Amino acid sequence: MAAPPRSLPRAARGRSRRERLATWGLTLAGLLAVAITLTIIALFIQGSLPFLRTVPLREFLGGIRWAPIHEPASYGILPLIGATLVTTGIALIVAVPLGLLSAVFLSAYAPSSVRRVLKPALELLAGVPTVVYGFFALRFVTPLLQGFIPDLGFWNGLSAGLVMGIMIIPYMASLSEDVLYAVPRSLWEGAYAVGATRFEAVTRVVIPAALSGIGAAFILALTRAVGETMIVALAAGRTPTWPPDPRQPLLTLTTAIVNIATGDHEATAFIWSAVFAIGLLLFLVTLVLNTVSYLVIQRFRERYA
Amino acid sequence: MSRKVVGGAFGVLAGAALGVGLLVLVVLIATTALQAAPITAMRAVAEAGISLSLRSLEVPGTRESRPYVTVAQAEAGSPAAGLGLARGDALLAVGGVSVDRPSRAWEAVRHAPGGREVTLAVRWVPRSEVTLGTVRAAAGGVAVVNPSPAAQAAGLAPGDLLLSVGGIPITGTRQAWEALVVAVGARNGPVEVEVERGGERRVLRWDPAREGELPFVRDPLRAWWGFLTTLNEPRYPERAGLLPALVGSLYVVLVMAAVAFPLGIAGAVYLEEYAPTNALTRTIEVLVANLAGTPSAVVGIIGLEVFARALGAGRSVLAGGLTLAVLTLPTMIVASREALRAVPRTLREAALALGATRWETVRHHVLPYALPGILTGTILSFSRALGEAAPLLLLGAFLFVTYVPQGLGDSFTVVPLQIFEWATRPQDGFATVAAAAIVVLVTLLLLLNAVAILLRNRFQRRWAG
Repeated sequence: MAAPPRSLPRAARGRSRRERLATWGLTLAGLLAVAITLTIIALFIQGSLPFLRTVPLREFLGGIRWAPIHEPASYGILPLIGATLVTTGIALIVAVPLGLLSAVFLSAYAPSSVRRVLKPALELLAGVPTVVYGFFALRFVTPLLQGFIPDLGFWNGLSAGLVMGIMIIPYMASLSEDVLYAVPRSLWEGAYAVGATRFEAVTRVVIPAALSGIGAAFILALTRAVGETMIVALAAGRTPTWPPDPRQPLLTLTTAIVNIATGDHEATAFIWSAVFAIGLLLFLVTLVLNTVSYLVIQRFRERYA
Repeated sequence: MSRKVVGGAFGVLAGAALGVGLLVLVVLIATTALQAAPITAMRAVAEAGISLSLRSLEVPGTRESRPYVTVAQAEAGSPAAGLGLARGDALLAVGGVSVDRPSRAWEAVRHAPGGREVTLAVRWVPRSEVTLGTVRAAAGGVAVVNPSPAAQAAGLAPGDLLLSVGGIPITGTRQAWEALVVAVGARNGPVEVEVERGGERRVLRWDPAREGELPFVRDPLRAWWGFLTTLNEPRYPERAGLLPALVGSLYVVLVMAAVAFPLGIAGAVYLEEYAPTNALTRTIEVLVANLAGTPSAVVGIIGLEVFARALGAGRSVLAGGLTLAVLTLPTMIVASREALRAVPRTLREAALALGATRWETVRHHVLPYALPGILTGTILSFSRALGEAAPLLLLGAFLFVTYVPQGLGDSFTVVPLQIFEWATRPQDGFATVAAAAIVVLVTLLLLLNAVAILLRNRFQRRWAG
């Protein structure tokens, strides 16, 4: 905007053209997320069709033997689902109480100066690369646990799950803290006015008021644990077992994908199609969970906004 | 009274819960740094000229397996080569500490008393042809065809049949030398060699080990610098180098930034400044939140299928950068939106009131104002991408890249993948280099986070009022 425009109408035309261009460009960028999601869905449905046409859904979801490269091949993913549930369950047992209590401490007990330091420090846990957690689980937590549990395998679901729990604490804590913090002051004051202690105000008034938001945080932590790859790939092993035992090596849905993609053998088109079917399942599960979590949080924000 | 006690206890419990998370973070960093410490001694041994490998001898007639260490590589012109050590020799002891695994040798150098430079005695048995000479398999043992000078000096003659060494029966030509190594290593001195000569059994006493002194330079700075700046030698952890992975990470993150940064800001500007409040906008918002939570392994499949195969980018830097861009785009959008939302409404209204169009308002007023916040979010999402391994692992498992990528079309490895590769190898020393690479990666990430925090603080000071 240095020199004054020579003729106003032309300048105005230029401006409106720029304006239209910007609007179009920005709209396209905004629609990119839609395009990526549609691509993922289309690609995964198309990619998994050859597999899903051949292997009955009952055998896929209900079979207890996963052996895609052996003869005879078998494509039951119950062992993988079981392994994912075991590691995710252990992770949530760690992360939910620790995350929720951390959130309560930050929002109700810590002075704001302490909160300003501790909250980013806790979020550093989410910034540690997952391969680092995997190494920590394999080389520190497993040897430590073997001192207490003698028949714990070198690879096992337990230490992978525990470390994954530490990793997802910030997902649980940060969002819970946000919703606890967003509970209106008036609810606190009402509780205090009828003679509640801080503990009573938190547990009987504030947490119930924030419950839907805490539920959303729980779901977010859950999807992180279900989709986590590197920790289980390093520390939980690569053996599909049924029934899953947390003390033994396990093969989760995500590591099954990694296993085939990085295997020594050249994956045939059909095995690759099985990878797409697992990917589709993972994507749909996280899509549903993420959407529920997002909508719950939106509704929570609207209610207390 | 008891209500107060319960409440107080709850507060303590909640604080302790927070402490557990932070404590684990500290333990993680501390234990990893401790596991990386032997790298100084490992590289000191490598610089003295020798790379080591673990071998083992199955003792015939038992289930026993006896480990020993061979020199896998002796660098020409190094102090070790000057001493006469060569490929195929067996290392018995370093600094008086007997060595049956490579890690023992590194520990011996690490814990030897002395300062930065130490000179330690090494004991080794030269390779088979130097120690024994020419031998061939025969019934009941191994026949000596043409003994080496050392073997002759010990009393072996052509035509002798080796029966056992240090009580270990001889079953093969290679095994005869291995038995000698294991026996001498265990006895730390002469061993009894049972020989049949002309139908008569005799027992010789023989110590084929040689001794010499090797200088080792234990310099942490030198070791870490070497680790950071050398190409990777995949077989020997003491010669592992992080340079290809560091350069690969840099390239991939640059490609990702070139794509995700403009698109992320544009998407955020659209959603925050342009999008009408309707069902489509709500859908986009839900999908962005969803993509941010999509498992990275799933994104990896997309990268492989779309970028590597359909677009023909192959398993290259370009495909890797684009895959990471898909992964970071949603977090970029979310972070940029937050920064845009922090720009006061009044600023937009003032610009519009002066006759600026919507784009001019965004371009000249809103974006410059929001930029520090956007940059903070950008750095944080880049640092996430820098630590991401799963999608790139799927994209092609470039686990054995030993050279530095030169351009967009080259295959590559990144630091987290290199850590994964080292962490999955059971041989001695790889856990140490994996831990060392973790120290490097975490340091990088902490630096990036510190920059982000500095930016945020500066930004908050400037526009606090």
